[in-house]
Amino acid sequence: MRDQNICLDEQLLLFMDQLEALEEKRHKLNSLIEGGWFSIAKARYSMGNKQVSSLQYASEMEPLVHVEDSLMESGTVEFKCNRAENKTDELTQNNSIEDIGAKEGGLRRRINTKQKEDKEEGASEQQETDHQGKTKTESTTPENRDPLKWFGILVPQNLKQAQSAFREVITLSAEIASIQSAILASRKEMQAQMKEKQEKSGKTKPEIIKD
Amino acid sequence: MPGRGKLIAVIGDEDTCTGFLLGGIGELNKNRKPNFLVVEKDTSITEIEETFKSFLARNDIGIILINQFIAEMIRHAIDGHMESIPAVLEIPSKEHPYDASKDSILRRAKGMFCAEDFR
Repeated sequence: MRDQNICLDEQLLLFMDQLEALEEKRHKLNSLIEGGWFSIAKARYSMGNKQVSSLQYASEMEPLVHVEDSLMESGTVEFKCNRAENKTDELTQNNSIEDIGAKEGGLRRRINTKQKEDKEEGASEQQETDHQGKTKTESTTPENRDPLKWFGILVPQNLKQAQSAFREVITLSAEIASIQSAILASRKEMQAQMKEKQEKSGKTKPEIIKD
Repeated sequence: MPGRGKLIAVIGDEDTCTGFLLGGIGELNKNRKPNFLVVEKDTSITEIEETFKSFLARNDIGIILINQFIAEMIRHAIDGHMESIPAVLEIPSKEHPYDASKDSILRRAKGMFCAEDFR
């Protein structure tokens, strides 16, 4: 019984610590978001009212941030934020190599058409052209992926500040989501322990009420 | 999508959505469905609720960020969501500062310490 009480106390302390961590992160998130809005407002002031609005969103969007969720043994879910900045570098490198390959393919195709005009060759050509098309589309995407470019090429510094603020907010929100999940798991665990304790003590009222 | 991780969805006012999209969370999938909803004055509660439920049903979304004043409009739907994925996060908006007493997670946590739990 005493062990159970100690266990319950420890769980409660952990729960309080988690709530404190959540409070702290929340406070940070709120101030970062406020800063972000302020920067957006400043950018809107210098660019014009309708230049920073939902009308400027691109018709094609690709996410630059992903969250990886991993279920822990304790039943909590941990969210980890992954930014695709390194991946874009890799993509640009890959594309530069692929572009060279595509050019060679173009030359080869011209020779082939002169030498042979088989149907099989035609099919392979189609595949090659498809491949070229893909590399072209891929090569254009990483450059246009930065959402800042939706709002123009020479955007004010404030919009860049807003972007960096919201990037931090995104990372922070993944951390908050992990803490929230841990809080809910702790709550579940505490309720289970409390129930167990009450069952053991039978119909007698718990000590807290007696006091 | 499985190897790349999940997305973050946003339901919020124009500035909140613009900010988060600047941060790089925006996606339009093959069916041209976005992972965000810009809530304007004329956006109906039904539309918000349907979008929220569609985000819950999508398995490529890990976190849903929602302005707290919008969350208040569809509180029953948010309270009804008990799964840990996708996680729902209430964030402040420009006109409405964050109020911890309204947050569904903190209200659940607070429920631990009500008198009924000790009986």
